[in-house]
Amino acid sequence: MKAMTINIDQRKKTKWKKVIAITAIILVIVSLLYTFAYLRHDSNHVDMGNRLAGMSLEHPLGTDHLGRDMLTRIWIGAQYTIGYSALALLASLLIGVPIGLLSGYFKGMIDRVFMRSADAFLAFPDTIVAIVLAGLLGPGIGNLILAITLIKWVNYARLVRSTVLAESQKEYIWIAKMNGLSPRKIVSKHLFPHVIGSVLVMASLDFGKVILLISAFSYIGLGVQPPMPEWGAMLNELRPYFNSMPQLMLYPGLAIVIVVLLTNLLGDYLRDYFDVKKEGKV
Amino acid sequence: MILSIKDVTIKNKDNTIIDNVSLSIREGEWFALVGQSGSGKSMITQAIGQLLPSSLKVEGNIYLRDTDLLSLDKKEIRQVRGKRITYIFQNYLGSFTPFHTIEHHFKEYMRVQGLNDTKLQNERMIESLESVALSQHLLKRFPSQLSGGQLQRVSIALALLFSPDIVIADEMTTALDSVSGYKILELLKQRQKETNCTILFITHDWRHVRKYADRLAVMKDGQIIESGGKHRILDHPQHSYTKQLIKAAPLLRKQLPSGLDQEEIL
Repeated sequence: MKAMTINIDQRKKTKWKKVIAITAIILVIVSLLYTFAYLRHDSNHVDMGNRLAGMSLEHPLGTDHLGRDMLTRIWIGAQYTIGYSALALLASLLIGVPIGLLSGYFKGMIDRVFMRSADAFLAFPDTIVAIVLAGLLGPGIGNLILAITLIKWVNYARLVRSTVLAESQKEYIWIAKMNGLSPRKIVSKHLFPHVIGSVLVMASLDFGKVILLISAFSYIGLGVQPPMPEWGAMLNELRPYFNSMPQLMLYPGLAIVIVVLLTNLLGDYLRDYFDVKKEGKV
Repeated sequence: MILSIKDVTIKNKDNTIIDNVSLSIREGEWFALVGQSGSGKSMITQAIGQLLPSSLKVEGNIYLRDTDLLSLDKKEIRQVRGKRITYIFQNYLGSFTPFHTIEHHFKEYMRVQGLNDTKLQNERMIESLESVALSQHLLKRFPSQLSGGQLQRVSIALALLFSPDIVIADEMTTALDSVSGYKILELLKQRQKETNCTILFITHDWRHVRKYADRLAVMKDGQIIESGGKHRILDHPQHSYTKQLIKAAPLLRKQLPSGLDQEEIL
């Protein structure tokens, strides 16, 4: 009886998480679309007469040191921060997942080549690679995304490879082979669906990290360049005004925290969701 | 001879796992390959379908009628797999892709084998499920929702779907309880009578050998130490290892006596 109560409680909790995560993400997307379609202010419009203004109806979050509307910059910044993170993550998925599938399924030479090169990438910490790339190719968001992709694909390749290695020893893959399925079909129809759950979970957990990484690099000036309103870059720009107007740094900082927390929540939910396999859902 | 294995040797880098094994299986018979775990039974069956990992080297010939299976390239072996050789494995749950329904398994198999007409597919599916005494309600279910016995029945239905030359049953009842195992084997026997397929039956259970096999071969440490008709081996085992195995197997008086005990009494 006791076990049952616990069970129900847990279910409620997951449902809660799901509701929060999904509403929050829908809210973010809707507001992104809203700012994209309708803006009252230009995020780069400089108005020196109105600089460092407090809250007002015209500027709900005030203006920054160049008189630009903070709210607009936060929303536009969301597009950059989330968009670039998604881009970097997508690129790593597109590289890592196929490589993991191939090297896990075909093993042998392909596996060795891919995995040794993965090891080579893994040897460098991501911050170092990003700094070196920025040094070599010049600072900029493109190079930052390149650096993040170079680092992140390894994790996905390894995760996918290990899952595929374990799964391809199972009889259903043999049966599929024995039924005459081509390797392409086996990988896409029998192994890929198995892998995609854990990959999505990992990606959603990584999403927060990538956002932080992009913001951190923009903060030290290696990522998004001003006047683009990326949150990390905004933090950097507003640093000199921390003593007089601390809330200006608080807004983009809070935005980062909220989005990272939400993606982690989503990751937790996805993990629970894929954990039950197919049994509970039919 | 429907399947003949000639001087097959399987090696990895350091040692020989299967040593010069020869076997021949006649059309329509139930051939049992007996031996303890690790004797290399399963490895031979995997060599037949070219399922072995590339790190293992296979020498010799395996003829399915007149085709040498080991000389086929990847494309050609795909033509043989599923159409002329099929497998039934021990791990019934592992034999099905967990996120595909039973129907999906049937349809995918039929599509790969070139049967694309939906109406024909459905007829074939229901017919073959009926032949293993399962209702068509199971089609919409996932493998985890079926019992072990049901899954092995589906395995039999799938394995016999395209009337293959030979069905390789690798310890197919080991993971089942004895009643379900018995039912499954009875079913397989009945289906064999109906379809006249050949069965290569891998087992370590002498009860099944006594009851179902026509001929058998005994394997030990990668070698075949004895082969021949069931009665010949059960009643007059030549090799001391075979004698040991037969003695070690539990025997109920009602079943076919081993003959070994009588010999000793006399």
